[in-house]
Amino acid sequence: MLVGVGVAALVVALVLGVGVGTVAIDPGDTLRILGHRFLGLDIPKTWSDATETIVVDLRLPRVLTAMLVGCALGVAGATFQGLLRNPLADPYVLGTASGAALGAAIAVIIPVRFVILEFGLIQAFAFVGALAAITAVYKLSRIGGLSPLTSLLLTGYAVGSLLAAGLAMAMYVSGAALRQIFNYLLGSFDAATWPRFLATLPIIMIASVLIMLRARSLNGLLLGEQAAAHLGIDVRRERRILLALASLVTAAAVAISGLIGFIGLVVPHVVRLIVGPSARLVLPLSAIGGAALLAYADILARLAGGIPVGVVTAIIGAPFFLLILRRARTGYEV
Amino acid sequence: MSPSPSRSARRRGTPAAQLAAFLSVLVLMLVACSGGTASVAPSASPVALASPTAAPTATPAPSPSPTTIPAFPKTLTDDQGTAVSLKAEPKKIVSLTPASTEILFALGAGPRVVATTDFDDYPPAAVALPHVASYTSVDVEKIVGLGTDLVIAGGNSFNDPAAIAKLRDVGVPVLVVYAPDTKGVLKDIELIGQAVGLPAAATDMTTKMQAGFDAVSSATAGLTKPKTFYELDTSTGTIYTLADDSFSAEMVTLAGGAPITTGSKTDFSIPLEKLIAANPELILLGDGAYGVTAAQVKARPGWKVMTAVKNGAIKPVNDLIITRPGPRLVEGLRELAMAIHPDLVLPSAVPIPPVP
Repeated sequence: MLVGVGVAALVVALVLGVGVGTVAIDPGDTLRILGHRFLGLDIPKTWSDATETIVVDLRLPRVLTAMLVGCALGVAGATFQGLLRNPLADPYVLGTASGAALGAAIAVIIPVRFVILEFGLIQAFAFVGALAAITAVYKLSRIGGLSPLTSLLLTGYAVGSLLAAGLAMAMYVSGAALRQIFNYLLGSFDAATWPRFLATLPIIMIASVLIMLRARSLNGLLLGEQAAAHLGIDVRRERRILLALASLVTAAAVAISGLIGFIGLVVPHVVRLIVGPSARLVLPLSAIGGAALLAYADILARLAGGIPVGVVTAIIGAPFFLLILRRARTGYEV
Repeated sequence: MSPSPSRSARRRGTPAAQLAAFLSVLVLMLVACSGGTASVAPSASPVALASPTAAPTATPAPSPSPTTIPAFPKTLTDDQGTAVSLKAEPKKIVSLTPASTEILFALGAGPRVVATTDFDDYPPAAVALPHVASYTSVDVEKIVGLGTDLVIAGGNSFNDPAAIAKLRDVGVPVLVVYAPDTKGVLKDIELIGQAVGLPAAATDMTTKMQAGFDAVSSATAGLTKPKTFYELDTSTGTIYTLADDSFSAEMVTLAGGAPITTGSKTDFSIPLEKLIAANPELILLGDGAYGVTAAQVKARPGWKVMTAVKNGAIKPVNDLIITRPGPRLVEGLRELAMAIHPDLVLPSAVPIPPVP
């Protein structure tokens, strides 16, 4: 039932998202264009080529990318919160954000201009940077005597700081290209195109579905390592797999959209407030909730004059974050 | 006994299964419709706009002779080396830099310009046009919505490169111009002239401009060149001036000055110590139009040791015509020369075609 509500919200977001923009397009025309192009309906063409280009090539990939990234961040956030048993965890907690940002900054400042399979140098480097960061964090956290979770979090913080220093250096030497790096850091969907959307869709979808299939393991890990082991869950293996899948999803998401915060943090908590902590319910609903929230945030951002999406999600997310903290003091459990 | 929640959930399908079912339907739809979607590859767009990825036709550029070589379609190479194909003479032009706007209007293509940036200030007719770009962003949707068939953008990240790529992706030809020196400015004027189908007007303008440059440089050739510091901006606390080999530095040299530059080709800032060590004999205030006066400069801590400040050789200049790589550059060079050598006598200027 909730899935139905979520899907309905997504469809509304899709239609709204495609109808809203700086150029005023008749909503009837929008629906007609969508019906003509995607459902193959035989509708006489009453709109101009430019309108069709705007709806199909500019707005539609943007809305779909927003939903895809929102879904990815929602799932990744729920997974990280469960894995690390920490309600303040978000998809960026283990250094993926800094790694992606540094990758994007390097892509901006190197004097090479080429596009990898129409995907884009910035996107490719951000993806690689995010994965490299999380791999480094994972490998480094295995050393030392701290418990795995603490080690992971602390190493994530340390590596993240190092990469942030690298990013600051890159921004300093970037000269005229500083604004491009800055745009990436704020996160936006201006760069959404069909090739990028279609390239990241399978990665995020498959990885998310694989995570959802492991919901039982995630539930077990929530109970603690020993309880999980007693339940027959191979803790180390499951942790590694879930970490890898969630990182892959996060890396793909930040590659195309930049760093958009609060979705991965806020959405799983809202979902848990409604349906409880079981990962079987939380994961898919976080996916839908994240997709819907980010799609609406993008619409709001565009209506507000083209401000970066990250600003809108922060405005929504930060007060909610404070609310969670208050409840945490009164015994709110992940 | 009512059925347990888990059993009814299993009958309905868990949320994960519901979601998976919905997603697989969605993916199947998208895959089935990808034959009809716009651009998996941009050139597959059924929208009939000029596509920059179409194979460039090697049509020779038209010469100003009365033969019947058609001017369009043609392929031009912009200042970043990208091949830009124009199927027909552009009727709706968008200019994303103030210099390009001035060039378009001076060439006579003003009536065809449909939109500019919100920081364009000349000519007056251009200021009234709709805005599709700001200092920080370019509104791709608006540009496409106007039915634009040529965009002229600024290189070196003046306009967001991602927006330029996006415009090319949806089939709008974008010509990126960037002039590293005065020769580059003339080359850009010719390039834009070719792109809008007015090559003769462009050649005429560049010939006159080159003559203007030559007149000034020959008039200042034998004079002693004072060490000149051209101040771009100090409002943020950092001193911004001319970079090495930049085109403004070349302008100062042509005008008979020895420009003090930053020591780097890409960095426009200079530390105060370096400036004091260079000891300028003349300070030109490019930010004079923004309220910076000679008195303020004299009052700056550490500046009074410079020869220019001691002698009071601090002059405001019209930054716009000196640093903007457009048709008013000769006027700018003349003003610069007069500021550096006040007793200079220049031959009367050949007028650049008046702007409508």
